[in-house]
Amino acid sequence: MSAHAAPSTADLVARWRDEPAPLLPLLHALHDRDGFLSEDALRAVSQALRIPLADLFGTVTFYHHFSREPGGLNKPRICTGNVCCLHGGNELLAALKSQGATAMPCAGRCDEPVPVLRGHEQLVGTSATSLAAKPTPLPAPNPGGCEECIFESIREPGRATLEGYRRTGGYEALSKAVREMTPTQLLALVTESKLAGRGGAGFPTGVKWQAVADAPGQPKSIVCNADEGEPGCFKDRAIMDYDPHALLEGMALAGFATGAPRGFIYLRYEYPETFRILERAIAEAEKAGLLGVNILGGVFNFTIHLRRGAGAYICGEEGSLLNSLEGKHPFPRNKPPFPVTHGFENLPTAVNNVETLASVPPIVRKGAAWYRGLGRNAHAGTKLISLSGDIQHPGNYEVPIGLPLKTLLHDWAGGPQTGRTIQAVTMAGLSGGFLAGDALDCTLDEPSIRGKGSFLGAGGIIVFDDSRDMVAAAHAAMEFFAHESCGKCFPCRIGTQRLTERLNGEAGPSDLAAWTQEVRDIGTVMRATSACGLGMAAPFVTDSLLKFFPEQVDNYVVSKEPNNR
Amino acid sequence: MSNPLADMAKPDVIFCIGTNMTECHPVAATGLKKAMARGAKLIVADPRRIKLAELADVYLPIRVGSDVALLLAMAHVIEREGLMNRAFIEHRTAGWEDFRRNLKAFTPEWAAAICEVPAADIERAGLIYGRGRPAAIYYTLGITEHICGVDNVQSLCNLALMTGNLGVEGGGINPMRGQNNIQGCGDCGAETFVFPGSVKIDDVAARDKFANAYQRPDLDLGQAMTKVTGLQECGKSIHAMLIDGENTVVSDPDRNHCEHALKSLDHLVVIDIFMTETAKLAHVVLPATAWAETDGVACNTERRVQRLRAAVPPPGEAKPDWWIIAEIAKRLGIPGFDFQSPADVFNELCSLSPTYGGLDWERVSRESLNWPVPTKDHPGTPILHTEGFTNGRGRFMVLGYRDPAEVVDDAFPVWLTTGRRLQSYHTRTQTGRASGIDYLLSEESLEVNPADAEAWGFLDGDWAIVTSRRGEVKIKVRSTDRSPRGTVFASFSFADVPVNNLTGSGYDPTTHTAELKVCAVRIERAPVTLESAHDPREPENAHAR
Amino acid sequence: MSATATERELTMTLDGEAVGFRAGETIYQVAQRTKKSIPTLCYDERLEAFGACRLCVVEVDGVKAPVASCTTKATAGMVVRTDSPIIEKYRKTLLELVVSENREVDVSPLRGFASQEFTTLVDRYGARTGRFKGRQSGTSNKTDDNPFILRDYDLCISCYRCVRVCAEQEGDYAITMMNRGFGTQITTEFNGRLKDSACTFCGQCVQTCPTGALADKKALRAADLPGEIAKTRTICPYCGVGCSVDLLTKGDRLIGVQPAMDGPANQGALCIKGQFAFDFVQHDDRLKKPLVRQPDGSFKETEWDEALDLAAAGFRRSLKEHGRRSIYGIASGRAPHEAAYSMQKFIRAGFGTHYIDNCSRA
Ligand SMILES: Cc1cc2nc3c(=O)[nH]c(=O)nc-3n(C[C@H](O)[C@H](O)[C@H](O)COP(=O)(O)O)c2cc1C
Ligand code: SF4
Ligand code: SF4
Ligand code: SF4
Ligand code: FES
Repeated sequence: MSAHAAPSTADLVARWRDEPAPLLPLLHALHDRDGFLSEDALRAVSQALRIPLADLFGTVTFYHHFSREPGGLNKPRICTGNVCCLHGGNELLAALKSQGATAMPCAGRCDEPVPVLRGHEQLVGTSATSLAAKPTPLPAPNPGGCEECIFESIREPGRATLEGYRRTGGYEALSKAVREMTPTQLLALVTESKLAGRGGAGFPTGVKWQAVADAPGQPKSIVCNADEGEPGCFKDRAIMDYDPHALLEGMALAGFATGAPRGFIYLRYEYPETFRILERAIAEAEKAGLLGVNILGGVFNFTIHLRRGAGAYICGEEGSLLNSLEGKHPFPRNKPPFPVTHGFENLPTAVNNVETLASVPPIVRKGAAWYRGLGRNAHAGTKLISLSGDIQHPGNYEVPIGLPLKTLLHDWAGGPQTGRTIQAVTMAGLSGGFLAGDALDCTLDEPSIRGKGSFLGAGGIIVFDDSRDMVAAAHAAMEFFAHESCGKCFPCRIGTQRLTERLNGEAGPSDLAAWTQEVRDIGTVMRATSACGLGMAAPFVTDSLLKFFPEQVDNYVVSKEPNNR
Repeated sequence: MSNPLADMAKPDVIFCIGTNMTECHPVAATGLKKAMARGAKLIVADPRRIKLAELADVYLPIRVGSDVALLLAMAHVIEREGLMNRAFIEHRTAGWEDFRRNLKAFTPEWAAAICEVPAADIERAGLIYGRGRPAAIYYTLGITEHICGVDNVQSLCNLALMTGNLGVEGGGINPMRGQNNIQGCGDCGAETFVFPGSVKIDDVAARDKFANAYQRPDLDLGQAMTKVTGLQECGKSIHAMLIDGENTVVSDPDRNHCEHALKSLDHLVVIDIFMTETAKLAHVVLPATAWAETDGVACNTERRVQRLRAAVPPPGEAKPDWWIIAEIAKRLGIPGFDFQSPADVFNELCSLSPTYGGLDWERVSRESLNWPVPTKDHPGTPILHTEGFTNGRGRFMVLGYRDPAEVVDDAFPVWLTTGRRLQSYHTRTQTGRASGIDYLLSEESLEVNPADAEAWGFLDGDWAIVTSRRGEVKIKVRSTDRSPRGTVFASFSFADVPVNNLTGSGYDPTTHTAELKVCAVRIERAPVTLESAHDPREPENAHAR
Repeated sequence: MSATATERELTMTLDGEAVGFRAGETIYQVAQRTKKSIPTLCYDERLEAFGACRLCVVEVDGVKAPVASCTTKATAGMVVRTDSPIIEKYRKTLLELVVSENREVDVSPLRGFASQEFTTLVDRYGARTGRFKGRQSGTSNKTDDNPFILRDYDLCISCYRCVRVCAEQEGDYAITMMNRGFGTQITTEFNGRLKDSACTFCGQCVQTCPTGALADKKALRAADLPGEIAKTRTICPYCGVGCSVDLLTKGDRLIGVQPAMDGPANQGALCIKGQFAFDFVQHDDRLKKPLVRQPDGSFKETEWDEALDLAAAGFRRSLKEHGRRSIYGIASGRAPHEAAYSMQKFIRAGFGTHYIDNCSRA
């Protein structure tokens, strides 16, 4: 048989059937081969993996990017996320309609709009003719001259290769841990560093790992959350594209500390190039004996499996992510129990963000005190901020935790375009809603931002200048949450829809007081009763809109006029 | 059943043999599926690739009628690997050493040749069952409707005895009864070998008790006659028959013989709710009240005695069966039929049956209990044999393997096996008249392996003539992977496809259960006639809509 | 000794009252036992708690946001409030939201066992306020021509009880949720007909649906019949499992069957036969009068007295001409005990033989 002949379904089934977490890779293999998921393909998967066909069908339809129509994979999908629609995303969509283009939510390229997915590639450009595959923008040297943890060596040429990584201290931390430390010592070090989760919830990483180490049951797992679905967040992508071995080393360290012999990277679908980079890095590390069995000649074993999502923001929520990995319908799980005791396949699991894990090798090399000292005002460490929107220099910045927001916006990123002023920024991507006016006088740390009624979360900040209609911005944000609500719980499933309709005029009272009451009541019940963070966070958008922009709301509800411009 | 239905979700290992449970006892099968969702292992032995087979960890598509060989080999594996429950064998059973010696020859390889499945799978089944704590066995007619039905059941008992899986929660050997009150029929003594309460008719004390209670001093001691013999004797020694709601002609094997037998009676009285094929042969047909119109009691497969309640009045002048029988009895001067209500009848049963001693109409109307319920304050017995067996110790039976009564040969080269389908029930006198059922199953078909269908030159929907040594039927062919090569399947539910024309090759020598499951047939293409060009069932089905 | 110690430990405070509980019980289960009426829509006690409707939220001291009582285990010393004004307000808002996504709230109770749950809660909370208008969720399936189950998803509220009952109770995994969020749609694989899916038409999804979105088409045929619906508890007439059912009647008509949720053999389960094959009972083909064969072979309707006399006469003749061993009886495995008992007594008391059998051997 020729090397180019497409593999048969039976071949693909045989390739994946006995691997851990086989459903997504098998579906992707068939999707990639056929350009869509046919009925026959689903029947074969259902039989091979013993997943009831109806369940499998339901699960496949959950994901945005699995096409069930022939040719679907090769039709362009255009980002119309909050940032891209400020930069011509909708116009590009219209221009590509004839090619069967459809919209997709934020694809994590807000620093260089507009991303377009086609086939196995992500292209960028703002017009149909300028679309081209481009490498992820490399983070600029730290404009504040602050000492960095994660980005410290990322700009070194060749850093993404094993050789380049080792040149600047790569895998020294792992070697030190495996040869000189006990898991207990490593756990203590991470706890002392005060490293906390960088995926949004900010849970102390050492405490999480300790819980996994203490929980009974094997095999345990380290799951790297590389779903980066939050609109306006693209920091994990920079790490993985330019410093993939830092993530692998961090995961191996996590495995060593917790006693987990296996790791999974759950990568968002929209990063095809990143997938290839990680694949290469894992192969290199395995070949060099840095992953796999008897790592560095010792007794420590750790294998990393790379898995790809298929387009679902909720799969960044850890319970949903674990269900997705396991091939189940990706609804979030009820907690407790938490993943640390009942995670992947109901066994102890540490779910950590890419940034969190990539911070660990430098911490091991340089010490807990060093890391703690990187923050300001008694805050420990650094945080990556993805900055985008109406700002002169969008991109990823590693800031000392506690840095004033305005320093970042004006001194580091050059402020708004000339002639414009900053009207508002979002926090935590979209999940923290808007900050505006006096509330912009805050520092980049949770206590300060929570004091303003929002939260820092994963560190995505989108800037809106004074030309923007904030009701329209809120609508785009709420539309995202409605599109991504998994539909498990009533308040979020119906609430995100009703709020979207109220923000685009499709439905809702025309009387301002009644309108406001409905929007507030929906928000209150969503925040109080939703089953997961998506539904709890979505009303930040409407609440902050009402708080900071009552006149724009008034204008929109009463006179149906667009705001500004 | 030795164990209650609620136990079905509890075993670690489930062994289903000769039961198409998902179709015949769907609600019971839900318990089994729950056990599997919990991680229980499933072994399925069935010639046909039934739905259960798809769920199985080990599926054994054994040749029809080869069950005993499989079971012996599984026992062999368990013995060889030392997976027996020695304490149980020592304290609760008898005959182990003889049984054990006899096992030596029955290797998986030996059975593989007879059952036509790989020896390795038999080995695996033996190991899984042997290690299950608890392991439960479920079976239905697939096991008993054979000439060697008793051997089959005995072999299952042997497995359960050697592993100590009797009298434990989630274990046991559990026959699934086919009809809503077939268990009750036996409980009531409507079975030739037993009095009410399952007491044997050759038990002198029992004979005396009933002779006395029924004012019948000359009541036989022993002298059973099974229905099979009864039908054979029609026109010879049997001349009159009373049949209650039983479409014997369609459900019994060898339909031609059966019709002939009933026609040779001087007097046939049939009590039924519809004009069945059997009723059409009667001299007097008496209309009975149906389910939903009748107050009474029934007993399910787990020995649970439950109240039936009337909700609507019967049509026309239909009467309860007990009333009809009592009226005939009174006219014949038989004493003791002055029943005024179903409660009177049931209470009399309870007063005479040791297993129902603690029950009465009032109590069954209040609660449902599993018999035996010996006294008024007894809570019922969900699991049998927890303390000991009725007859002391559980006895191992030394068995060998016998071929079915009929084996395939050049003239009749194909195995036919019969059974039931989910959507229809028995002879369809009921489901055939429930609206909508035709949407799913409007006609019977012969299930043929696709490769066989091709080899024999059939397309789906083609008409075939199936011939056995006893008769023939015309039936449409449907190819399906459920049938293994060389074996075809049909149900006996449709009167217009009288599959039981073909069956009836023999009877179990002890119980006289018919060999309904297996017979040898020949399959030929039906000549194209006007009749087969359009659906000949049209008039038959018209009234079902 | 130690048992009492644990018991003392396992207490919590529910609306100001101390209550004991067993390890592993959820707050909702404890509340149920103590007769609190916490509203739910996605809960079915036979299924694993799912936590979709959020109506069951309660306040727990020391926990910021309310928790779903159905999925939260009780812990010792927990202080819980189940009906504070703020919680009741959330519940009302939730119900107003749910009302807004459906075509209608009031449906015939013939649709299914649980079909009135939603209506009842909406009225308990006065949630017919007409607030939160907007698009409706779920689209009724107009192409599925099956005669048993109406798929009226305009009324669906995505509680997933149907999907879960099909998987967890019935074990058929025939249905699923397609898409996500507000676009969620209950359907089969490839969004087709139930007939082409793994569905066995057991009807369990119908009976657990709290809105009547899945409905019993056969029972609905009687929606316009006059009269109140009455229920009678009995046992299914088909296989040996012996499922408990409630017969639905209007006057003299048998119009449907619903499973008994507390049926000892079935816990609310049925199969297609028990659920849908009930109407043979009032079929036109039923025998209504005794029939006697005429010399020409045809049957003639007669009165009972004549028919019974003739029936008895035949046996008397046989007894006289051929003796007591010439009579045989066959009992039915489908008639009740009273029939079987009378049959065997007829033979044993009447003729002193054991010439009685049943169909178990066929
Ligand atoms: C709706 C939602 C989406 C989320 N998406 C992500 C994500 O894309 N990446 C991520 O790392 N964490 C995400 N999280 C947070 C994870 O649930 C989890 O807290 C995190 O992965 C833990 O890792 P950390 O402790 O290293 O931050 C999300 C949470 C919610 C509620
Ligand atoms: S809050 Fe939204 S996303 Fe989260 S479980 Fe509920 S419906 Fe799903
Ligand atoms: S009728 Fe039964 S099998 Fe069919 S979808 Fe409903 S629950 Fe599942
Ligand atoms: S159809 Fe009924 S049971 Fe199923 S999700 Fe909708 S409302 Fe719930
Ligand atoms: S009953 Fe708890 S969320 Fe529905």
